[in-house]
Formats: sequence, structure tokens, C-alpha cells
Amino acid sequence: MNPSLVQLLQRSDIRRGDAFAVAPAPTLGSGFPLLDAELPGGGWPRGALTELLVEHEGIGELGLLLPALATLTAAGRVVVLVAPPHAAHAPAWAAAGVRLDCLRLVFPRRPRDALWAGVEALRCGGVAATLLWLDAMFRDGLPANSLRRLQVAAGEGGGAAYLLRPARFAAQASPAPLRLQLQAAEGRLRVQLLKRRGPPARHDLLLDIRRPAALPQAFPHALAGAALPAASGTRRRSRAAA
Amino acid sequence: MNLAPDALRLDIGASLRLFGGLPALLQQVRDDLAAMALPAHVAVAATPLAALWLARAGDGTVCPDLAATRAALAGVPLAALRLAPPLARRIEGFGLRRLGDVLALPRASLGARLGKPFVIDLARALGELPDPQTCFAFPERFEQALELPAPVEAAPVLLFAARRLVAALAGWLAARNGAVRALDCLIEHGHGHVTALPLAFSAPVHDAARIERVLKESLDALHLPAPALALRLCAPETVAREAGSLVLFDGAGQRQEALAELMDRLAARLGAPAVQGLACHADHRPEHASRAHPAAPAAAPPTLPRPLWLLDPPEALRESRGRPQRAGPLRLAAGPERIESGWWDGADARRDYFIAIDGAGRWLWIFRDPRPPGGWFLHGVFA
Repeated sequence: MNPSLVQLLQRSDIRRGDAFAVAPAPTLGSGFPLLDAELPGGGWPRGALTELLVEHEGIGELGLLLPALATLTAAGRVVVLVAPPHAAHAPAWAAAGVRLDCLRLVFPRRPRDALWAGVEALRCGGVAATLLWLDAMFRDGLPANSLRRLQVAAGEGGGAAYLLRPARFAAQASPAPLRLQLQAAEGRLRVQLLKRRGPPARHDLLLDIRRPAALPQAFPHALAGAALPAASGTRRRSRAAA
Repeated sequence: MNLAPDALRLDIGASLRLFGGLPALLQQVRDDLAAMALPAHVAVAATPLAALWLARAGDGTVCPDLAATRAALAGVPLAALRLAPPLARRIEGFGLRRLGDVLALPRASLGARLGKPFVIDLARALGELPDPQTCFAFPERFEQALELPAPVEAAPVLLFAARRLVAALAGWLAARNGAVRALDCLIEHGHGHVTALPLAFSAPVHDAARIERVLKESLDALHLPAPALALRLCAPETVAREAGSLVLFDGAGQRQEALAELMDRLAARLGAPAVQGLACHADHRPEHASRAHPAAPAAAPPTLPRPLWLLDPPEALRESRGRPQRAGPLRLAAGPERIESGWWDGADARRDYFIAIDGAGRWLWIFRDPRPPGGWFLHGVFA
């Protein structure tokens, strides 16, 4: 190859169509080797917005992030949740390996405040990862110009930034350099890479997300109220709990 | 440093090198006085009393040593000494006008005629007797008020006025090498009506810019019930500043500072309850096992599966043919786990928990209340 062309191709703002862009900041391992292999830089980006388009709440969308959050908090780095959809249950977060003293939750009441809090958390150099649930605060979802503000703020702060949104916004244009759509797949998580700084993904990923129990193969018996096992204060440990 | 009724005395002997020499120090003193719009005479002498008298006599006398001080004192009019009127009249009766006239007289007879205290003062001014000074102590508590030039209707506008108070506070803190965890900003509306705006900081602060940024968020979120006429800033308590200058140069310290400021600003604008932490609490009832603010040492997390999100209150589920429904029948993946607790505080709970999966693949934590009226409830989401 022409030497000057080689030189040109080494510039960080130029990438070949068949290769990943050079990530501007060291990435954060997701804890899922299958996923890391498909992410530019081999992990979650830092200093850029990652959009997670979640088909349904409760399919393991946080399970996808927990290994990374556990790694960050284990190092004493702080994770901020902005406008989470429900109350966080401390024992579950602790059991997932997240250091609770490194977790901060922000519950804004007005949409304007939610966006402001999100931008401020993203911009803060002291926050290693920010998770945002902002669409529910707005009647028609997050306005497009707010997405740009969030992306700019993520660049300033340099932490990992996850915007969790309903999957119906997947078709909307977004400045986020990484967009994943998440679907339930029989106890696993189907991850579709909608957008990344690199060649389009050829196939979806099926990830084994930490789930609270094994899938029931078949229903043991009809669950009539009276047919339930007559519990006598004893607790049964679920098989996949450990 | 100390204060006479209308004079400020600074001991500069030890500070000359620090400030880059006498002319530079004098210039800084004059600049600071000008910044506070205080007209003043400045004089430098070898003894405190001589400096005071020289300053009263006129501006700009600089006597770097004792000889120059003695020479300069000779020219000081006796009025500058502000003697008690009977004494002043008696000296005037002698036909003396300037200090030099007095010093020319034999000192022993001066004591007999004008009293010992006057002679001692003279000796102190001339540097013949020591003149120990008590050091000025800053007030223990900071409280400063500012009348607004015009009534202010919008709270954010108050930030401009508040900046002056914050600057004064920062100076006061700097002198004490102190920091504050909390501040009270009082907005006075007249007729005794006051809006209190407490500011809380997660870590002690002393930096004016940082205090201002938190104050700004508080003011932005504030609605004034009536126009503001005056502003008052109080520091109820100060703490010693941490020797954190080393930590500042290391990344972790900077991150900690940045995070503390973020939390303060979030709490200032959204209200303190909107910013929470998370901690485990030893209680079998799931709704009591989580705390927003760590109080006691955290309990060990349970080994049984628990959902990341908890619904408050639990959502009642439809039941059809004995099976819980939520957008279709729920499949039960694990359970039951009986949780029976809370009889001691009236919030009695006896529930059989199951992990359930709905048709869309959501993993849910549901329970059945075995006691009448019973029924199924959604309590958590395994997100």
C-alpha cells in the first residue's frame, strides 16, 4: 500500500469500512465475551452514549450491565441511576456484585429536571457510569435535541453512559454511536446491534444473562389455590439461585 | 493584626518577603481598601502606636526603622494622639503643638505634670518600652446581611447579590482555615417574613465558586412568596479544613470532589429526598430490606433470588383458574418461598413468593397472600 495512504489510515478520525473505529477512550469490559467481540474497542464505550432499546422491562436488560457495574463499583467508582423506573431493591443489587455504597439514585419529578440531572451526572468526571431512564418523563419520549445534549455531556464526563429506552424508539435517528436492541429469548437475551462504529453486525447475539431461576420445562401441575404446596414456613432454595 | 476604633493595625514585619517587599505590600493593602471602597490613610512605623499616630496625622508616611520613626513622630500634631480633653488642654496650655515639642522637654518632669500613662505611651511609640498587642480574633460565627438596592422578585436574580456574601464567607473561612458543611441563606421580605434556604454539602466546602454553584441550583428551584428586600448568609458551624491538597493532585481525590459537588447540586435543585443511596437493611419483608440512606452497617445480602426493582405498592394481579395473569397467564419458574414476618410492628406479612415469566419474557417476582381475601400480587421485576 502507498505509505502516505497507510499514514492517512492511522488517523483516529478515519476508519476503513471493514474495521472498527479506534475507540477514543479505553472501553469497559461487558463481562460477556460474545458481546465484547462485537463492540468497537472490545467493550462498552466510555465518553459516549450507549442506547439500550428494551423490548420489555424485566427481560434481563440490567443483567446485561451488571457485570460492568460490579467491576466499576468494586474499584470504588460511582454509578448513578437517573430516574429509575422503580425502587431499587438493595439485597438484589448487592447479590449481583454491585457495591451499594458506590450507587447513587436520583429521582427527579419534572421532565426538565430529569434531563438536567442526566446531563449533570454524565458531565461529572466523578461518575464512572450513568444509567438513564428518561423517556417515561416525557409524553412523546425524549426529544431528539435532548439526545444530542446527552451525547455531548457523555463526551465531557468520559464515563460509560447507558440510556435505557423502550424498543419503539429503535427506528428514531439517534446521535448515540452504539445502539443495541434487547429482546427476551427463552431465558436468554437477544442483542441486536442496531448501530456501532464499525461494519454492520451480521447476526444477533444470544447472551446468557444471570436469571433468578432455571426455566420451567413444563408446568408441574395446575396451580389451583388449594393445590399449592402447603408451605410450613420452610424456604425452598431455587436451583439457579446460587 | 488588630483593630483600633477606626484603624486597622497590621504587623507586617514577618510578611514583607511573602508579599514581595514593602512597596508591593502597601500597594496590595491600598488595592484591597479601594476594592471595599474604604477611604484610608496608610502609615508604616517601627512601633504600633507610632504607626497609628502617623496615619492619623496624614497619609503615606513610611518609616522603615526606629530612627526614622522617631524623626517622623516629632512632626506629628498632638491632636493626632487623641488625648483625653483635660490632658489635651493642659498640654496646649504649655504652648506645645507638636509631638516634637513634648519630646524636647525633660521626660522626668513630663511624668510629674502630665501623668504616668502619657509618658508610658510616649515610650512605647518611641520603642523604648515594649508594646504587646492582642491579636484580632475573627468572629466565631459567620453572619452577614446585605440590603438589596431594589426589591427582587425572581429568586435566581439573587445570585448576584449573594456572590458578595459568599466572597465574604470564603474570606472568613480562609482566615480560620475552616470549611462548612451547611449554610443558611435567609431571604428577608420585610415585616419579619423570611424565606429560609438551607444549603447542605456532602463534604466540607470552602471554595467560593463551589458554594456559589450549589447556591445557584437552590435559587433556581426556589419560588419567592414575596419580593426579597435583603439577603443574609449564616454559617452555623465550621469544621477544620482537611489537609487535602495532596489528594487533589491524584485522580481519585478529584473524582471524589467532583462527585460531592454533583450530589450537592442535585440535592439543591431537586430536593434532598430526590438524591438517594442504597443500603441493605435486616428485615425479612422485602419492602423493608432496602434503605435509601445507609444508617446501620449493611446486612449480608440473602442468597435467595431477589429482583433488582421492587414495586411500591405491589400491583394486584388478576387470577384466572387459579393462575395469576398479567397480559396472559404467568408461568411459574421457581417457588414458593414463604416470607412471614413483621408481626411485631403491625405490618404483618405472610406471603408465598414465586418467580414468574410472562408471555413476553419478563421475569417477575410475584406473591400470593394465603390469608383471605388473598390474591396474587406483582412485587418485583428481575430486570
